[in-house]
Amino acid sequence: MMSKVRSPEIVMRLSRLGSLHQCRLSFMRQLTRRMAAENWRFSRPVFDIDAAGVGHAVYTAAGPERSYSLVAFAHDLPPEMRSDRVIATAWDATFTLFDGIPTKADIDRLSRNVPLQEAGRVSQSEISVSRANRSVRLWEHFVDALSQGRQPDPQRVAAVGYLMRTTAVYGSGKLGAADREIIAGRPEMAAPFQAEMLSVYLTRWFVRDLVEHMARMRGGDTAVPLDPALARCLGIGNSTGLGMAPFIVNHPVLFNNWIRAREEAIATVRALARASDRAQAQFTDLLTRSGLSVAKWHSEHPLQIAKLAQLKADLAALRQHLGAFDWSPEAPWDRLMHWAEGALSEEGQELLASLILEPYPDLVDGLGATMADDTPDAFIIDGAMTVAEMRRLIEASFGWALDLDWSARETCARAWYVSEEKLEPRLGERFEEPVEAYEQPLAPARDAALAHRALCDRDADQPISVFLQAHPEHRHTLRRAQISASAPYGEIRSNTIAADLMPIDMLRAKLSFFGATHFDPRSDRWVRICMYADAPYPPDLTARNADFWVYPEATA
Amino acid sequence: MSFALNEVEATAKKAARGAGHPWGLAEEAGKATRWLCAQGLDGVAILSTALSRDPSAAACPLAEGAALSDRAAALAGQETLLAEVAAPAMVLPFAALVARQTGQCVTVECKGAWATTDGRRLRLSATFPAAPAPLRLLCGGDPGALDDLRPMATRATPDDVAWQTLERLAHRTYAPATEESRMRGAGAGLSDND
Repeated sequence: MMSKVRSPEIVMRLSRLGSLHQCRLSFMRQLTRRMAAENWRFSRPVFDIDAAGVGHAVYTAAGPERSYSLVAFAHDLPPEMRSDRVIATAWDATFTLFDGIPTKADIDRLSRNVPLQEAGRVSQSEISVSRANRSVRLWEHFVDALSQGRQPDPQRVAAVGYLMRTTAVYGSGKLGAADREIIAGRPEMAAPFQAEMLSVYLTRWFVRDLVEHMARMRGGDTAVPLDPALARCLGIGNSTGLGMAPFIVNHPVLFNNWIRAREEAIATVRALARASDRAQAQFTDLLTRSGLSVAKWHSEHPLQIAKLAQLKADLAALRQHLGAFDWSPEAPWDRLMHWAEGALSEEGQELLASLILEPYPDLVDGLGATMADDTPDAFIIDGAMTVAEMRRLIEASFGWALDLDWSARETCARAWYVSEEKLEPRLGERFEEPVEAYEQPLAPARDAALAHRALCDRDADQPISVFLQAHPEHRHTLRRAQISASAPYGEIRSNTIAADLMPIDMLRAKLSFFGATHFDPRSDRWVRICMYADAPYPPDLTARNADFWVYPEATA
Repeated sequence: MSFALNEVEATAKKAARGAGHPWGLAEEAGKATRWLCAQGLDGVAILSTALSRDPSAAACPLAEGAALSDRAAALAGQETLLAEVAAPAMVLPFAALVARQTGQCVTVECKGAWATTDGRRLRLSATFPAAPAPLRLLCGGDPGALDDLRPMATRATPDDVAWQTLERLAHRTYAPATEESRMRGAGAGLSDND
């Protein structure tokens, strides 16, 4: 039985998208489950790094048919050059994910290009290019403590969560790397962002090795290795600016497929008549562990501080509600979700929605394979569609936007643009800065309202091919509208150029599908996150620990 | 230099926008240029010619091509004539879109050169002229009958000058770097040395 899925009007509001949490379908968890199930083997064939921390290393992941190698370059970065922004030109470490096992000649070639990032070139043999910066406060503490034979302070570890944070992970042909089409047919790369997630997973392993190496170089025989339990708490940070926001607008089919997969999973579980004792127990256990993760989630941003306080209150309310909850009547998960709609904030509702999926791998995990975009023809405009039908499609996604006053300053206060400075995506103030001439088409709601108005001047039965002859400026909008017919979760149902827009909501929506946790906004358009915290390191990955690592276990 | 097809598409789209085309047509230009490169043709050089056309001398192949694709259903089984079109090969990817929508092969004739596509692959009798020329488009024929196809390419190695032309046009879409933009636009400003 299929219960009804939540409508796009509910799900696609930015405030809710900005409250999403990871779930079974997250790309990191899809990857670790697959690698464990297929018994992937991991090795470190090269670790050639000197006392100053300069050199390179190779980490190889061998699957049933193919191997992938992270080639890591470690650098000695002057602090004044350390920046997480796209405009940076040097980093503490740079990486590429090589398709196979690199030869010495490959590494020589990569050593001349990967450290330069955007200023270098890679080839079809490389699948991703990335870089990372140290958390200065935690890195020095680790090297200092370990070199003197002591373990780092666990409280300081918890306060930051990672030793390095990536500041960009480029895939899909960027900088000359392999196009998505080259790898999309491989089972292990079919789900979205699997290469990027693998790269980050191997990067975390490299960072642990590097910090131990630097402590040995400083402390010699006095140095000790990092306590494995402490090492496991460490994730890899990621520092993300506005680049991710255009991505979810520019890939409506892909974004639809992510949201739709999760919504179908939620609806499937809500439709279950009963929850077995085992399912109840697992849910309750993971709810407790989820609380541990939330307790470790820190932010200095006022908005996130308020959301976190609310989420903690939501968790308390949920635990109290469960204390008296009668599981026996029909559809317990559906009843829980209904209760949450009236009792919890969007943060709490979405955490619960993700959690109820956990006991049901057989019902949920298969949807992971539906999250890629394999419909290249969705791009083609059907010019035979009538003006009336087109108007109806626009109204379905953007009915809420048609009556807004799009000339009002607060409605169109912002403009998305790309700077010539390393092509950094930026958000400007339309009425205060000279950026409108460079505006990117990232305001689908406004553009839909404009197109709709123009369509209202036309005969209802006219084909849109005729309309487009007179109005080529609406072509991108009509294309999106036709895509929305089969991808209704592809359109954000909020104004992406409003004066009160919070771009971090768009970033979080994407990052939650990666499987990120501990969203820590640094401003309204910049967010740090943690990836793979509490995950087993590659050599320790087994079918037993490959899935639920995202929920930390209580320590005695 | 060898480029990923995704790089070609992204640069072609920005170049078309920089040349003054609306976003929707710029998107078509990106996909079309990628398609040409995937057929082993220098789509970058063809687009570069198309974007530098003399508007008084020849029609724009992007606008003409998109209009053909938009009327695909009406073209099935028909012959269509186009007057002078700039960079005639730029129409081929749009003929492919017609083929994909109608499920029929589309043949384009230009100055004695013939191109036939089923939407995915291409058979070409001779190189299309770079200069403006009229085109004849025939829609019909069983896609299964297509043989002697061009090999597909997964990379592009475009003419250097043509690539630079696209990059120069693409650059018009970027806002000039200013200190205010640097400070406000990305919303960072906090130290990353923590």
